[in-house]
Amino acid sequence: MILSINDLTVSHGEKTIVDRVSLTIDKGEWFALVGQSGSGKTMLSQAIGQLLGPNLRASGSVSYQGSNILEHPKTEMNQLRGKAISYIFQDYHGSFTPFLTIQQHMEEYLQTHGVKEKKKRKNMIKEAFESVGLDVPLVKRYPFQLSGGQLQRASIALALLLEPDILIADEATTALDSVSAHRILSLLQELQQKTGCAILFITHDWRHVARYADKIAVMKDGKIIESGSKQKLIHQPEHAYTKQLIQAAPTLPMRIKEASKS
Amino acid sequence: MTVMEISNLKKSYTPGKLAVNDVSLSIQQGESLGLVGESGCGKSTLARCLLGVEKIDGGSIIYNNTPLANANRKEFRDYRRNVQTVFQNPTAALNPKLKIKDSLLDPYLQFQRELELEHFTFSSKQGFVEQLLEVVELPKELGDRYPHELSGGQKQRVTIARAISIEPKLIILDEPTASLDVLSQGAVLELLASLQKTLGMSYLFISHDLAAVYQLCQRIAVMKDGELLDIFQKEDIYDYSRHAYTKELISIF
Repeated sequence: MILSINDLTVSHGEKTIVDRVSLTIDKGEWFALVGQSGSGKTMLSQAIGQLLGPNLRASGSVSYQGSNILEHPKTEMNQLRGKAISYIFQDYHGSFTPFLTIQQHMEEYLQTHGVKEKKKRKNMIKEAFESVGLDVPLVKRYPFQLSGGQLQRASIALALLLEPDILIADEATTALDSVSAHRILSLLQELQQKTGCAILFITHDWRHVARYADKIAVMKDGKIIESGSKQKLIHQPEHAYTKQLIQAAPTLPMRIKEASKS
Repeated sequence: MTVMEISNLKKSYTPGKLAVNDVSLSIQQGESLGLVGESGCGKSTLARCLLGVEKIDGGSIIYNNTPLANANRKEFRDYRRNVQTVFQNPTAALNPKLKIKDSLLDPYLQFQRELELEHFTFSSKQGFVEQLLEVVELPKELGDRYPHELSGGQKQRVTIARAISIEPKLIILDEPTASLDVLSQGAVLELLASLQKTLGMSYLFISHDLAAVYQLCQRIAVMKDGELLDIFQKEDIYDYSRHAYTKELISIF
C-alpha cells in the first residue's frame, strides 16, 4: 500500500464537495477514478497534494509512509510534491509558463528538489525526454511551439523526473484527440511498468479505464458509490449509475473489434 | 439525391503545404456522413471551407447545381440558410449578452421573408422558442435565461435547436460532443439521431471519436494529413481491405 485515504472530506463553507471518501492505492497499481463533471474527483485529487484553494477545507486523513500528509506543513509538502507525488493535468497549456522553455521548467524543477550538479541535471532532462518519446532538441522550445500531444508528453516527463511513488493524472487525456490520447495512455502504462509508480487516473470516459486500469472506483456527488477490480466493475456492475456510465460511452461492437485484431 | 458535392477540394495556409489535399466527397439527402481523424488532420478546415468562411484554393463545392465560388448573393444566402452548423464549444457559439430565446430566434428573423417551414410553425416568438426548446428536450423556462446560467450540455442543445430552427438541408457538426462529459455526450448523440429521423436533414458529423461516429452515421470517411484515406459504409467497417490507418483507429476503441 502506497497511499491510503480515510474519510477524506472536502468542504466549501457549509457545502460538502467530497464526502467521507476512503480508498487505498497499492504500489505500482493503476487506480482509476471515474465520474461525471462536478462529482468531486478533481477536488479529491487536489486534496491529496494540498493543492486546494484557500476557501476549501479538507479533513480526514491521507497516509503516505505512515504519516498523514494533510497535516504536513507547507515546506515539507513542497518537498513531497514532485518527489513522492506528482501531477499531470487536463490543461497541458496551463501546466507550463508560456515564457519559459521546456528545459527551463525542468531545470527549475530539479534545482528546487536539490539536484545541484549541472551536468547531472542535463542528463536527467535528456533521459526524461527520451523516455516519453520526444526528440531531445524540442526541449529548447517554448510551450506554444509544441502540439497538445507533445506538451502532454513533456508534462509527463516533468512529472516523472524524480521517480515519484504516485502519479496523479487528472483527465490527462481528455483534451487530446482519441489517437493522441491512446498513445499517451500506452506511454503511461509503459512508464508505469518501468518505474513501478502507482497511477491515480481520473477520467469521465469509461473507455480509457477499460483497457488500462487495475482497480476502478466510481464517484458521484462526492461519494464513492462502487469500487473494485476492473473485471468486477466492467462485467458485474452493481450500481445503476455505473451501468449508466458504461452504456453512455459509445463503443464499437465487440465482434468488429476482435476481428480487427486477428 | 445529392445535397452537396465536394470535388478535389484544396486548401492551404502555408505555401507548399496543403491542409486539405484533394478531398472529394458527396453528401446524400437524409444521410449522416461521419468524418474521422486526429487533431490537425484537416477535418475542421474542411468544415470551414464548406461553411464559406475560408476561401478554397482549388476544387469545388457544389450545392444545388451551383459551385459555391460562383454563387450570386441570392444563391449564397440560400446556401447559408440550408447549411447550418454546430461547433465544439457551445459557450463560444452563443452570444453571452443575449437571452437564450433571442439566440434561438435570430436565424428565423434573418430569413423569415423567404422561409417556408414544414415542421415548425411560427405564430408567436414565444411559441416558436417553446417549440424549439421542446424538440431538444429542454424546459421552456430556459428561454429567459442567459448562456452562463446553463450547463454545457444544455447550451449544446440550444445551439442544436438554433441550427434546426430554419430547417436546413445539411448540418455540419464539428465535434459537437467533444466538450461534454460522457453522460451528456450519449444524450446529445441520441438527440441528434432522433432529430434526423423527424426532420430528415443530412449531417456531416466531424469527430475524432470513431465509436461516436459509428453510433450516429451510416457512412464513415477517414482523413489523415489533409487527405481522405478511406470511405465506407458503416457495415463494412470490418473489411480486410480497409486502410491500415483505419484499422489502427478501430483498434483504439
